[in-house]
Amino acid sequence: MEKVIEHLDRAVIVVNRGLIAIAGFLLVAMMVLACANVFFRTVWVPVKGTFELMGFFGAIVAAFALGRTQMKKEHIAVDVLILKFPRGVRLVLSGINYLVGMIFFSLAGWQAVKYGNNLWRVNELSETLRIVYFPFVYGVALGCGVISLVLLVDLIKLINNGNEVPR
Amino acid sequence: MSLTLVGIIGIGILLFILLFLGMPVGFTMGVVGFGGICLVISYKAALGMLGTELWNTFSSYSLTMVPLFVFMGEICFYSGLNRRLFKATHTLTGHVRGGLAMATVFACAGFAAICGSNTATAATMTAVALPEMEKYKYNPALSTGAIACGSTLGVVIPPSVVLIIIGLYTGQSITKLFYGGIFAGLVLATLFMVTIVILCVIHPEWSPAGTKKSLTEKIRSLPGFIEALVLFLLVMIGLYMGIFTPTEAGAIGSLCALLMSVVRRRLSWEGFTSAITDTLQISCMVLVIIGGAVIFSRFLAVTRIPFDIADWVSGLPVPPAAILTIIFVIYIIGGALMDALALLLITIPIFFPVAMKLGYDPIWFGVMITVITTLGAVTPPVGATTYVVAGMAKNVPLGSVFKGVTYFLPAYIISVAVLMLFPEIITFLPNLIR
Repeated sequence: MEKVIEHLDRAVIVVNRGLIAIAGFLLVAMMVLACANVFFRTVWVPVKGTFELMGFFGAIVAAFALGRTQMKKEHIAVDVLILKFPRGVRLVLSGINYLVGMIFFSLAGWQAVKYGNNLWRVNELSETLRIVYFPFVYGVALGCGVISLVLLVDLIKLINNGNEVPR
Repeated sequence: MSLTLVGIIGIGILLFILLFLGMPVGFTMGVVGFGGICLVISYKAALGMLGTELWNTFSSYSLTMVPLFVFMGEICFYSGLNRRLFKATHTLTGHVRGGLAMATVFACAGFAAICGSNTATAATMTAVALPEMEKYKYNPALSTGAIACGSTLGVVIPPSVVLIIIGLYTGQSITKLFYGGIFAGLVLATLFMVTIVILCVIHPEWSPAGTKKSLTEKIRSLPGFIEALVLFLLVMIGLYMGIFTPTEAGAIGSLCALLMSVVRRRLSWEGFTSAITDTLQISCMVLVIIGGAVIFSRFLAVTRIPFDIADWVSGLPVPPAAILTIIFVIYIIGGALMDALALLLITIPIFFPVAMKLGYDPIWFGVMITVITTLGAVTPPVGATTYVVAGMAKNVPLGSVFKGVTYFLPAYIISVAVLMLFPEIITFLPNLIR
């Protein structure tokens, strides 16, 4: 079991590292694109499709950071009362949290895949650039899938070691 | 079961999960909103909404300003801009009694003008300003209190992520909210300075004067101000003149901060990558809360509870000011229990319609609740900023830091009273914007 957890943990770290690299690149791309749009709008004409590309890139930036943000326990929680509970109660509550969070993001990811499939099937195009944008919806689904995986690994670690993942 | 009752039960479950299960705020709002819509409409409708709402939130053009403004602040943080700001203010005021504490508040206000992170400001100011104040034998409670409270200015003085979210969530102009926050933040900063002066008069031994710097040293420290001033003016004037949108302001601010840091060789590659990683994590955290809040507010809208509460409250035979005071007290208590952004996103759908029904200015209300919830960042039991300061100030016990914070509490209370009595302080600048 220890070996499986170790492999899963390493896989999650590698996947998140890759996603963060892509999200970081797109964050810089968003900055450059918005500045270029202001510049060209002032001297000539706006960069076509800036608004929709910014939205698509922004979606990937947020979704691809989901897993890492969970790994670093950066999602804000109200733990004032929880810290006063006995250790056993805290462990059970952490387990419930991971399980509920995992189910929630799995459902969200599944629905995002369905939404993406639908956009693909009807060949939905963006309004200005007239490009297909279902891949970005799949990107959001991937982000949801990865955070579900991170929560699953946290849950397995909790059950196996009986240790809370420190907040 | 009536829809209103379902809504009230939903809010009750939300608070129960938040307080007794410790689930992240964004997840909780999403889960409760999803469950509520399952119950009120159907499971299929709730599922369909989950995928599309998450996509709509994450891909919203307006929300792309969140990572861009956070990025601007992170670049400034990793390039050491707040250190230079403190050095500059220290050079100018260090020789006055209490001058180092005032320099800290001034540097915090200056850094707040380009970065909206309380904790980042608190961490750096503790590392930079505290050793300096210890050197001059400042009272530990005064020095740490000044750092913790000064750091909260980041949320009030624009650009601030909290003001952005309030603007997007309530449909108000972000530019107007930014301009409304300027004087509110300055009132707070001024009252912090007054507090330091009063403490210096009562306890002269708490804050001895430092050495006076030469004119050359003072001139040499000026670039520390200029960088922050250039970035602040670039963003605010650009928004005021309508040259760019708030999202573009975030992008231009980030690019300028990056160029200035690179040209002046202040930002290493490690610093740059850390700025990106931190930006992604903070933005993701904020967007998950917003995503959850959107799902939860859909549920509340279906139950019509915000409108029912607004109608009920506005019909009470009580003066509007009394109702508003109760709302503000709820924000003070809530702010002490949870993060400001989370609290605002949970409560705005309920209290914003009430404030509008009572006839208050939306920009004024948005800025007021921002000022009030910042108080929660330094008060127990949550007081995240206080914990950051106490965690970094190894020689100062947590109790002393909280004691230091209490010296500044009257400043918060007076500023809230002043801003309530003279709402024009907030609304004057936004009203100039067409």
